Amino acid sequence: MSRNSDDRNSELRALFFESAAELLQSLNEAGLQLEARPSDEEVIRRVRRVVHTLKGDSAACGLHKLSELAHELEDVLTPEVARVHGADLPEVVLTAADSIGAMLSAYQKNAKPPAMHKLHAMIRRLLDTPGSTASSSSEAAQKPAHFAWTEYEQLMISEAVHRGDAVYNIALRIDPNSLMRAAAFQLIRNVLHGSGTVIALRPEDNVAAATVEVVEAALASTQSQEKLFHRCRIPSIVSEVHIERVTPSQMPEHELLGDMLEAQAAKVVAGSLEHAESDRTSKSPKPGSAAVAVAESTLRVDATRIDAVMNLVGELIIGKSMLHRTLAEFDKQHARDPVRGKLADAMAFQARILDELHKCVLKIRMVPVEQLFRRFPRIVRDVAKQCGKDVALEVSGQNTDLDKGILDALAEPLMHLVRNAVDHGVGSADERLAVGKPARGTVYLNAYHQGTQVVIEVRDDGRGIDLALLRARAVEKGIIKAEEAQRLSDQDALNLIFESGFSTAAEVTEVSGRGIGMDVVRTVMDRLKGTVHVTSQKGRGTTFQLRAPLTLASIQTLLFRVGGRLFAVPLSSVVEITRIADHEIHKVDQREVLRLRDQILTLVRLNHLSRLRSVDSPNAKKRNFVVVIGASEKRFGLVVDSLVGEEELVIKALPGEIVTTDLVSGASILGDGTVVLILNVPAILSRLSRATPLGAIA
Amino acid sequence: MKQFGALLRKDNQPVRYLVVDDSVFARKNLIKMIEMFGGELAGEAGDGLTAIAEYNRIKPDIVLMDITMPQMEGIESVERIVRQHADARIVMVSSVGYQENILAALQKGAKHFVQKPVKPEVLYEILRYVLSDDPNGAGAPVALAGESRS
Repeated sequence: MSRNSDDRNSELRALFFESAAELLQSLNEAGLQLEARPSDEEVIRRVRRVVHTLKGDSAACGLHKLSELAHELEDVLTPEVARVHGADLPEVVLTAADSIGAMLSAYQKNAKPPAMHKLHAMIRRLLDTPGSTASSSSEAAQKPAHFAWTEYEQLMISEAVHRGDAVYNIALRIDPNSLMRAAAFQLIRNVLHGSGTVIALRPEDNVAAATVEVVEAALASTQSQEKLFHRCRIPSIVSEVHIERVTPSQMPEHELLGDMLEAQAAKVVAGSLEHAESDRTSKSPKPGSAAVAVAESTLRVDATRIDAVMNLVGELIIGKSMLHRTLAEFDKQHARDPVRGKLADAMAFQARILDELHKCVLKIRMVPVEQLFRRFPRIVRDVAKQCGKDVALEVSGQNTDLDKGILDALAEPLMHLVRNAVDHGVGSADERLAVGKPARGTVYLNAYHQGTQVVIEVRDDGRGIDLALLRARAVEKGIIKAEEAQRLSDQDALNLIFESGFSTAAEVTEVSGRGIGMDVVRTVMDRLKGTVHVTSQKGRGTTFQLRAPLTLASIQTLLFRVGGRLFAVPLSSVVEITRIADHEIHKVDQREVLRLRDQILTLVRLNHLSRLRSVDSPNAKKRNFVVVIGASEKRFGLVVDSLVGEEELVIKALPGEIVTTDLVSGASILGDGTVVLILNVPAILSRLSRATPLGAIA
Repeated sequence: MKQFGALLRKDNQPVRYLVVDDSVFARKNLIKMIEMFGGELAGEAGDGLTAIAEYNRIKPDIVLMDITMPQMEGIESVERIVRQHADARIVMVSSVGYQENILAALQKGAKHFVQKPVKPEVLYEILRYVLSDDPNGAGAPVALAGESRS
């Protein structure tokens, strides 16, 4: 201040006393308010603001005693102190207001300000509470190690240098007079980020910066070294700058970055898997295990939280279609409005982001199938031992990702299938040797993606399923009639094993063959909107193929109307759509069939299958749409009244008490609020193959 | 009395300032300094909300912004201004006790900060630094022109 003219000083002083009087008034008012509501944080903030302004102004005017007092006072004006000393705080504030008033008038008369022992003592008492001990943690200052980058950072630097970028090692000494180290560090960071790409930085965060003197960075930049030097000389923040360019000779040529990253990623995945395993086996994972150390960047999150996010994204998708519909209506009404285009653009943008978000959330839920496969070596070993067999397990496709929920649901069916494969599929060593196979049997587990589905295969190289035996058993158990058994195609006969109460093992063994396993498999797959498919060659082995959607959260569907109601089927199961005239429909065995390109297609009318009330008779129409639906290699045609379109539906589970039919797998809500029922294709198929022929015979 | 070389824009016009502080005194203090640096006071504001309105109206070259203010605090004000004007040059003015807020303001896009009580020679250097930052080359209208000190 002394450097400025006296004129200016006196003018400022006059202004200061003027505004200080106002501040004092505010302080008194706020103090009274605080007395009325001691815990009101807004009031505390107000008081603090007033005191703060007073502190700044008085310091600028050279009134240090006052500034110091205000500073002390400011420290106690926190919600924390208010909580502990609720009643004392207003008292202190009001006393302070009096004291400040006294000091101000003393200053104004150019007199020495009175000592404020009483007030200082009061403030100190507020601060000296057992709870709020002064933070005296003075960590040892980090030694300025020059550019000690980690291996990874070195690699990044090397990559950049070999790419032809100019990379600089920069060391900045923080001005020792700078009292706000963390803010200084933040500013340095801003400047560095504004000057190029920061590859490495020490310290890494603001917390560590509080004690640090030298900031080190590796920066890839297109700016000249001289310009960088000037940028880094941040006044009042940086007192010393050291910049050196990294030359290619300094950096050894490394392997490709991609390889390195892959190795890193594999490590993390392995770590998280190990972690998950240790979690399952013991509720308290050992601290400091290698897995924990590796998976530092892996977060373990409660699945319900992810589900909550997933749900919200689902709602957003509904909201999106709501907007789309509204926009379509708007389009019709205001075809020439230029706002239309803008709206459409904004919508497209939003839709893209939403799509990304959706994918991201789905990815969070994805886990490698390895998590499930890992338990099978042990199971195979145990089961083989119990049966007195020698069976190896070969696993492939462990890295195939799928939704955690689906993975968990698949655990049980897969368990049955693997047990069955060992118990029934693979024969005894003698039996195998007799047919020229190695004594040791093998069960294969494989997983892969196909379209929007994940396929898991369980294959054995055993004796295969004896179809004759299977037919005989089915008749014996009363599942089908004898004459019907002969009519069944081989594939249909194979599928008999999925009927409840069916088991071909002559003896019910301890391990499997209770006749419930296969039934459970199909039930679970139906619930997952997936399929199970079996192929078998006598003497060569059996393969079970489980197909499940990658995720349960949402599916692409085809919307259509039947009897005035809106339905949806998964788009993945739609083979084709065709239009037929009534006269093309023939009746065979009381079934409606359609001849489509030399193939006979069974037709299904939803209002016949379920007891859906038929609003208007579809027969009255001359032409109908037929949606050809395929699951496994079976097909049927769904007769629909009208097609509505494709739509991505977010599946909402239906509680059992609302829906009594298994023909519907779930429901969804459209943007306009309409409820859509999603058909359960496998259930319809099984109803078709059972009900209709049986009905025809009976 | 110390002499400062005038801080001028590229087009040799005086640098235009917006001074934001709830204390009239603090504002006057800063304005005095600005004038010493050959600048022009384009506007003043006593709170963050007014600051935003003033910024939009006068498009200043530099904003000097207090951190604690009624109605809208400096941080939020910085955030809103930078969101609309990515090239805004905002220097925070605050005391040592508000490091967290300064930190937040810097993260929101403030260019620099100066501690209260503000020393003219410190502010001068900071302004010179902030004004010389011209990442887009000719794109930015403001850059340092006349310099009598080096």
